[in-house]
Amino acid sequence: MDPVSIIVDGKEVVTTKGQNIIQAAAEVGVVIPHYCYHPKLSIAGNCRMCLVEIEKMPKLQIACNTQVAEGMGILTQSPKVLAVRKAVLEFLLINHPVDCPICDQAGECFLQDYYMQHNRQESRFEFGKVHDRKKTVFGPNVVFDGERCIKCTRCVRFCQEVTQTHELAVVNRGDHSTIALFDDAVLDNPLAANVVDICPVGALTDRDFRFKVRVWYLNKTPSICPGCSTGCNISVEAYQNRIARFKPRLNEAVNSHWICDEGRYCFHGLTGGERLTAPLIRQEGGLVPTTWEHALQAVYSGLGSAQPLAAILSGRNTNEEAFLFAKMIKQFSAEAALDVFYQERALTTTQKLLMSPDRSPNFRGAREMGVASEGGFEALMRQLAAGSYSAAFVVGEDLIDANGEGEKIRGALQRLSFLVVQDTRMTETAKLAHVVLPAAHFGEKEGTYTNRAGRVQRLNAALIAPEGALQDSEIFLRLLDGAGAPQAYATPAEVFAAIAREVAAYQGLDYDSIGALGTELGSAGGGAS
Amino acid sequence: MEKLLLRNIGVPDSHMLATYKSRGGYHAWQKVVESMKPEQLIDEVKASGLRGRGGAGFPTGMKWSFVPKDNPKPKYMVCNADESEPGTFKDRLLIEQDPHAIVEGTLIAAYAIQSHTAFIYIRGEMVFGTQQLERAAEEAYQAGFIGKNIYGSGYDLDLIVHRGAGAYICGEETALLSSLEGGRGWPKVKPPFPATHGLFGCPTVVNNVETLAALPWIIEHGAAAYAAMGTEKSKGTKLFSVGGHIARPGVYELEMGYSFKKFLEDDCGGVPNGKKLKGVIPGGGSMPVLRPEEIEKVNLDYESVQAAGSLLGSGGVIVMDETTCMVRAAWNIARFYAHESCGQCSPCREGCHWMEKIFHRIEHGDGQKSDLDLILNISGNIMGNTICPFGDAAAMPAAAFIKKYRDEFDAHITEKRCTVRG
Repeated sequence: MDPVSIIVDGKEVVTTKGQNIIQAAAEVGVVIPHYCYHPKLSIAGNCRMCLVEIEKMPKLQIACNTQVAEGMGILTQSPKVLAVRKAVLEFLLINHPVDCPICDQAGECFLQDYYMQHNRQESRFEFGKVHDRKKTVFGPNVVFDGERCIKCTRCVRFCQEVTQTHELAVVNRGDHSTIALFDDAVLDNPLAANVVDICPVGALTDRDFRFKVRVWYLNKTPSICPGCSTGCNISVEAYQNRIARFKPRLNEAVNSHWICDEGRYCFHGLTGGERLTAPLIRQEGGLVPTTWEHALQAVYSGLGSAQPLAAILSGRNTNEEAFLFAKMIKQFSAEAALDVFYQERALTTTQKLLMSPDRSPNFRGAREMGVASEGGFEALMRQLAAGSYSAAFVVGEDLIDANGEGEKIRGALQRLSFLVVQDTRMTETAKLAHVVLPAAHFGEKEGTYTNRAGRVQRLNAALIAPEGALQDSEIFLRLLDGAGAPQAYATPAEVFAAIAREVAAYQGLDYDSIGALGTELGSAGGGAS
Repeated sequence: MEKLLLRNIGVPDSHMLATYKSRGGYHAWQKVVESMKPEQLIDEVKASGLRGRGGAGFPTGMKWSFVPKDNPKPKYMVCNADESEPGTFKDRLLIEQDPHAIVEGTLIAAYAIQSHTAFIYIRGEMVFGTQQLERAAEEAYQAGFIGKNIYGSGYDLDLIVHRGAGAYICGEETALLSSLEGGRGWPKVKPPFPATHGLFGCPTVVNNVETLAALPWIIEHGAAAYAAMGTEKSKGTKLFSVGGHIARPGVYELEMGYSFKKFLEDDCGGVPNGKKLKGVIPGGGSMPVLRPEEIEKVNLDYESVQAAGSLLGSGGVIVMDETTCMVRAAWNIARFYAHESCGQCSPCREGCHWMEKIFHRIEHGDGQKSDLDLILNISGNIMGNTICPFGDAAAMPAAAFIKKYRDEFDAHITEKRCTVRG
């Protein structure tokens, strides 16, 4: 790491060789406005918004394409720089439709933000604006507005350099330049919607999020994507206790700036539908609502008398929940077969840029907490289908809907003498249960996931679970209590402290210092990454 | 003055190899391949003082020396035959009537940078010119001047004639390279520069037709002979294509430093029909126009024209007499730049069209008092802030016309009509 000393706005800054001026200035909190520059894409240098003054150079230089050099003097607030920023914004705005009242980007738009910071002048343009295609569908998740586009080409470069799927190109010349799909192309690669994130304006917008809610009303909570075991860092953005969208969070160790489309929209499948708000117990004629006391009592007696027992935890349960689940199940049956839901599928090359082949974000963490059987999940399912168990406790997964063998599994579940299902909704599996316990989903939980690569990352609750449902960990604690093995954990942090004491791989980790970016297993002392 | 660049023009069948050879053609190429080292060749061209004739005037030998010698990537030599600067037709003359001079020059330059693949990128509209160059290349291949083991020296060289597709911007060297690579004719952000990262990311030199056509003579007669002509900083000769309100339009070859006034009045016969000179653009549509009084002391070399507030550029001389409406002339040029802007960077993409629209409304009687200062302001906001010099090329003439003929513009706005043509 070669250190290089430069002067930014009169302040001496020691940065590293190879940094461009935007990066170096950012190290000392100096923000240089820019559109086309993106740390993960090639340099385009076309927006001209990042022009800065460099001592001894007669012309202004673009900061994104200028590498730091020893002794370089940079001015980011000089009169020339302030004037050129105003000028560039004026140029960008003369043909801009100013759709703000109907544009989803409002509130997180770099034209709006920079205009307020660097221009604020009335338009001097008195001619008809250039028109272009509006609300043009580019793909299942992305819609394009040519008038709002500032031709920064971030989207084109993303499809060329990151996904290498080449759907987009710039066509036409001069002020009729616009972005278009190549012949017969559809913008449907597995990471397509990332172009919405990187588009600085409202030219590329998310079809799923379209017109849902103004972004300034969103409550944003950092968390981890529950889609698969890659563990992409996300921001869960909610309004009126419902998730409006996921946005990726920057974490160079996991997902960089990106999230796959499947993960981005997975919250729909995981949180939609009617929620269970009361425990249910099977009586003549079907499942009827009851009290927690009554339901848990039924669980004790049911599990106590029916062996052998199979216990299946969802891949979306946290480490803390898995830790308690393992303890709880073993309390009922030392020989119980327990494992975490895990199924693999084939992935394409583009999918493999981010995705893992499973849909169980915390399968590794769960197994490390003791939710693991010798043969693995597949063997457990085979045994279940073959009728090897008398009772089962299923958390958070619909086994009947899970794969092509639905009817076989349904038959096996029906033949169980006792079935407990803990879930958020009335699934096909839950319909067959003797006791149904209403629980919370990933968006309502706090805790940790351990991704496939062994990184422990924090989930934070973005929503409040509906009245009547309980946190999975709370249900497990009550069951442990009733089974004669009460645990004194009041918070996920306390459970994690126990994990750090009892699980070898988690020795020395500290819940509070996992931080926003997670911690790798094996990093002694458990400092934030 | 002994004609150098125009030495073969007017000779019957000047474009054919037999004629070219009979007049000494390819003698220089043979000398280079058989007896000169690349460093020697570069030094010779440096000593000649030859500067790029496409418009920028960069010293040719120095440009060649920027190519890294120890770089393992292939080197590329490119002849820029995309002549599109308004008012410029001097390359076209050579392409059509002396294509072998261009071929030979390209080969010499390729050798200097040890390139084994050379291209001539020719403007797509020049269909006849393409035929002439392709035939010349074919003849040269057949004669063994191009191809494998040239003159038994072990040096291989291929020459490819490539047509452009109708964009002025592809005359800008990095846009030319983008186009040659098969992509959109968008200029490349610099740094890095073509000498290290050019065609396909490999070291590349791009030279203008006229620059390359001078090389055979320089090699034959020596750098000193070339440097003996011209001025201290502008050596040799230059072609000027003169058009507009002039008695004898055409392509002329002059020693650098020749008096501009003498050239127009004597050599070109002056403004015809008893009209008075109103303005003249010395170096192509992108250069600032000069008023008659401004050219009194101007000589046709880089320094003198620059001192007068314009640029020698391509040498495309556009002469305008008193019947010319400068508003219309400015609008015409603004329209050209708006049409040709590639659209890559914000100031040029938006600014060029904006300026055109303002000129348009002034010309059509709708001008506002504030329009002139607005154009000057837009022009200033474009200058120096773009990826390539196209922005400057559009901004300079717009500002120059207004500054030099302000009264006429003001009258056009106030009267809501042209006050020159009525």
